[in-house]
Amino acid sequence: MKGEPRDLKLMVNGKFYELKVKPKALLSDVLRNNLKLTGTKRGCLESTCGVCTVILDGKAVRSCSILALQANGHAVTTVEGLADGDKLHPIQEAFINHGAIECGFCIPGRVMMAKALLDENPNPTREEVKLAMHGILCADVGYVKQIEAVEIAAEKMRGGE
Amino acid sequence: MKDFEYFAPKTVEEALSLLSQHREEAKMIAGGQSMLVTMRQGLLAPENLIDIKGISALDYINFNEKEGLRIGALTTHRAIEKSPIIQKHYEVLSEMEVNLATIQTRNWGTIGGNLCHGDPAGDPAPVLITLNAMLKVNRVGQERIVAMENFSKDFLEVDLGPDEMLTEIQVPIPKPHTGCAHEKLMQMQGDSGIIGNAVSITLNPTNGVCEEARIVLSNVSSVPFRARKAESRLIGKVLNDDLLAEAGQAASEEPDPNSDMHATAEYRREMVKVFVRRTAKRALERAKRGLIS
Amino acid sequence: MAGKKQTKAKADKAAVILKKEEYSIIGKPFPRVDARAKVTGEAKYAADIEMPDMLWGKVKRSPHAHARILRIDTSKAEKLPGVMAVITGKDFGGFRWGWSRETRDEEPLATKKVRYLYEGVAAVAAIDEDIAEEACELIEVEYEPLPGVFDPFEGMKEGAPLVHEDRPGNICVEYHWNFGDVEKAFAESYLVREDNFQTPRMAKGYIEPPAIVAYWSGGNHLTVQAAKGSPYFPYRILANCFNLPLSNVRIVQPFIGCDFGGTKNDMVNGDFSAVMLAKKTGKPVKIVYTQFDELTVCLRRHPMWVTIKTGVTKDGRLKAIQTKVISDGGAYTRMSPLSNYLTGICMGMPYELPNFKTDIFCVFTNNPSSAAMRGHGIYHTRFAGDVQLDMIAEELGIDPVEIRLKNAIKNPEPGKIYETINKLTLATCGMEECLEKTAEAIDWKEYKKGKRVKGDKAYGMGFAAGGYLSGTKLSGHNACAAMVRICEDGSINLMTGATDVGQGSDSVMVAMAAEVLGIGLGDIDIKRVDTDHTPVDPGTYGSRVTVYAGEATINAAKDAKRQLLEVAAKEFGVKPDEIEIKDKKAFVRANPQMNMPWERLVRMACYTTPGMVIIGKGQSSQGISTYGLADFNKGIGNIGTNYSFTAQAQEVEVDLETGVVKCTDNSVIAHDCGFPLNPPAVDTQVVGGAYHPGVGAALYCEFNMDKGLTLNPNLVDYKLPRAYEAPMTKVIHVITNDPFGPFGAKEASEGSTCTAPPAVINAIHDATGVWIKDLPAKPEKVFWALKEKREKEKK
Repeated sequence: MKGEPRDLKLMVNGKFYELKVKPKALLSDVLRNNLKLTGTKRGCLESTCGVCTVILDGKAVRSCSILALQANGHAVTTVEGLADGDKLHPIQEAFINHGAIECGFCIPGRVMMAKALLDENPNPTREEVKLAMHGILCADVGYVKQIEAVEIAAEKMRGGE
Repeated sequence: MKDFEYFAPKTVEEALSLLSQHREEAKMIAGGQSMLVTMRQGLLAPENLIDIKGISALDYINFNEKEGLRIGALTTHRAIEKSPIIQKHYEVLSEMEVNLATIQTRNWGTIGGNLCHGDPAGDPAPVLITLNAMLKVNRVGQERIVAMENFSKDFLEVDLGPDEMLTEIQVPIPKPHTGCAHEKLMQMQGDSGIIGNAVSITLNPTNGVCEEARIVLSNVSSVPFRARKAESRLIGKVLNDDLLAEAGQAASEEPDPNSDMHATAEYRREMVKVFVRRTAKRALERAKRGLIS
Repeated sequence: MAGKKQTKAKADKAAVILKKEEYSIIGKPFPRVDARAKVTGEAKYAADIEMPDMLWGKVKRSPHAHARILRIDTSKAEKLPGVMAVITGKDFGGFRWGWSRETRDEEPLATKKVRYLYEGVAAVAAIDEDIAEEACELIEVEYEPLPGVFDPFEGMKEGAPLVHEDRPGNICVEYHWNFGDVEKAFAESYLVREDNFQTPRMAKGYIEPPAIVAYWSGGNHLTVQAAKGSPYFPYRILANCFNLPLSNVRIVQPFIGCDFGGTKNDMVNGDFSAVMLAKKTGKPVKIVYTQFDELTVCLRRHPMWVTIKTGVTKDGRLKAIQTKVISDGGAYTRMSPLSNYLTGICMGMPYELPNFKTDIFCVFTNNPSSAAMRGHGIYHTRFAGDVQLDMIAEELGIDPVEIRLKNAIKNPEPGKIYETINKLTLATCGMEECLEKTAEAIDWKEYKKGKRVKGDKAYGMGFAAGGYLSGTKLSGHNACAAMVRICEDGSINLMTGATDVGQGSDSVMVAMAAEVLGIGLGDIDIKRVDTDHTPVDPGTYGSRVTVYAGEATINAAKDAKRQLLEVAAKEFGVKPDEIEIKDKKAFVRANPQMNMPWERLVRMACYTTPGMVIIGKGQSSQGISTYGLADFNKGIGNIGTNYSFTAQAQEVEVDLETGVVKCTDNSVIAHDCGFPLNPPAVDTQVVGGAYHPGVGAALYCEFNMDKGLTLNPNLVDYKLPRAYEAPMTKVIHVITNDPFGPFGAKEASEGSTCTAPPAVINAIHDATGVWIKDLPAKPEKVFWALKEKREKEKK
């Protein structure tokens, strides 16, 4: 039947969920409305701005451009899953300490993109960091601090200062 | 977005069976990076949606020295971009992918989805045409091979019947001393090219004469445009900068591009001149290196 | 020399209270107080808010840019299951609103006429978004399309259709100012140039679309949580609209995803609709705009056509400037009077200017309304002025840095004031130092000797300079207040009316209060604006928050401190002014052995008088307007409390074959913000202010319109500046310690918006010899300009 809710089995931030969702539900809708994880934002819903970026099976994707059911049986990490309890992830710390956050609307998507980058490539070049940051629009910071914050986090994660 | 009946086949057979059942009443979704936008806007409202993203059997990149490259239709752009096999043997594909949209799109969007969308501004099609790629198209109990060059029929229209599915992209081993390159005019990284082109040049190893040339343009026509007159300027000659410029000039005169808010037809023609020349030069350099790429 | 009166600076109230070497917090890097909430996803923005029984609302929009509304039939929509209420403009009983009392020309939802494409005419509340959208489609509206006007030149023509019947000639606002004698000055000038420039129609660029959750309780108590940079506007306007006493209107600020002026510091159809729908249904109603809504109906930066005529002496000194400015105000007045006023008011900065004349026309059209945007007003004419200055420099054979230094207003000596021809007064002006430091940082002496063309690319360096108002003064409500409440354990609640939209004002207020009180940043908790509890203030615009809310915060902290010092004085047996509090310890300055910890002092104070509550109150005195509307119309008097100054050098790479222009990392901005309260935060604001709205205007951003239709209402076709192209700009701080700013501070975020566009355009010229006078300098435009130049040279 059209629109009949279907089973969705999803691992989000290490927790296992079993839900029933309509086929047309987007992954971002399910994260925000069903699971109340509002950290992931809605910006353009047109696959351009990137503030809805989450990590799916280790890869940064736009959650507004994925049907929730396409993530069935997969693992998703959102910004709420980045910190380890009270202990912030080095990427989060770098963004705070380097002044890379202004209004904060693009930050959840941005730090998840950074995590996906650094998990795959612990020693990215400036070019690679820029390309990663390019996938999420910001309106205020001018990107410089954010690019530098990712590099600072990368160094920390490699065991540097 | 309107509601729809949803199917998530796990095998090609299942998918084909669903297609033969629903035909025009169904649309396939793979990565959905273009499709979901149009569905959200209400421009597309299929009764049935066949979600093939979960068919893991179509996610592969295989290579052997005889048959060349076989890419499953559901391979992501990112996998192609990062594949060591492709970076080694078909560098131009990886080069093209780096400039395709953003990382998130490439992580989820598939090569098959891109080709079936049939956007004349798309980047993979021109590259695959210059590589002489073939496409495997399946329907229940049947399989056919269609040349990449013949796949696009019109703006957003490809040679795919309502019960058919693209399953594989086949790229042959290029002849020795073949060089391929891709470039497009972007104002910002990842932009859809104002115009774009892929060029392939094959040289005769003994006398350096250009034996084959393929020049394919994007975003100047309703389908990827093969600039044959430009190609004929190069074939049979020893190439130099002047000839490359001539080819660029010829290529700019062949298609009849549109004007839109991003560029006039005139500017597009001027840019074809520039880009064909630049891209052909890089293709030539690669051909001279004796590298197959 | 006209414009150079030196008078005594008025006594500073909010100024430096300690020598800066003695600051504990201010002037050093400190993290934002809300950074953690943002980076963990805890921070809730308006669209994240959910309430029990909440309904989703949607606005129905007109398919015509200009039409009479003949009939609306909502019956089908009302019958759709899941629909809880449907409203139209008539439900608002003829209410009209506007940015000021004199300009109330807009309705919550259009009743008789729509004036721009997609203007709201009805709204629906339903149990989910999809049903609300479906219901909108079922509302039947009959229109009589009317001929429209779509650019100001059309709009001003004799016999043109009128957007507002009572506004002849479609003139929204006009100014005609005349200072000195420009004709005489032109006659005496060695060189006179007249040039035309054009700035593009732009989106604000924030990524968070407008969103609101509204609900009613207890009969006539309204609560609104919305993405509003200036909660004051909805507070007053909704009170008027719904006939409520202000005490019953509660605007609570969630986190806000940027503002930049206009739309989020104003009202949209969705705001009024959510409130009315909530009233009718008795349930909370949420309306979230889409990016499509944002890019079609929300307020834009005015496109402006600037004609500028400048006369100079043989050695490049400015004698006179005359400008004519025509702008497209769109369908409603909004804040166009201010936007257009600002194009002229600061023309006497950053260069000494003895004669100035301007004629400014803002015209109504059937396009979506235009309003403020970062770099408000000043950016348009600063762009024109600073590009033309380079043209003049080239004609006279003068170095572009030299000509700016020659004309720059010199930093007044302490205690003195510089006054422009139209009576803007500057106590500090770091323009010279900014220019010198910028030129030095990019090694201009060497650079200018170097080759420009390298293969098929050309490289060039462009300079620009500008001044920007800080702490804007307008007529009407400008005052700002703050409260500091000291809790028994020594922790502090800080309440101001200032809204942090991302610019970091919350953090700066906390830092200022902590500095004054002698305690740590972590001891102060700042409350987000909630008009039930926090003082109400006009909002975040005009670079006013640091200056005004800062002053109020400092005064509130001082007031609370005074109360504590009185208690300490009794305890130590000295006078209160002999005691200092620093590093959470109160001590007698002359005898530091007499001290006590902060917590003990607080406890003592809280318990000495039974029921004593230590609340410090403070307000800003600077905000009160020193002039009225008459002066506003004449263009005279201080629009700001103080003025920042910026110099920028930006290198570009131009692909000579394609016209594609890229900013390189060879990029420096020297900014005089008086005193950087939090240096890294200033850096970010300066860099962001230059790149997004500045380089955006110069290279990328422009709405393409066709008879009121936005042709690029999406972020693929409307290009917002992105990371890959962002120059890694270095910021240099120039410190002038302004006596009228808190801790000597002036604005830091809009000055660079005004210098980036001319710097980029001047750089393109330095690289290639072509002038691009209408923005943005998209590849095709540059390509044809290059081709034209090559052809001219052949002849």
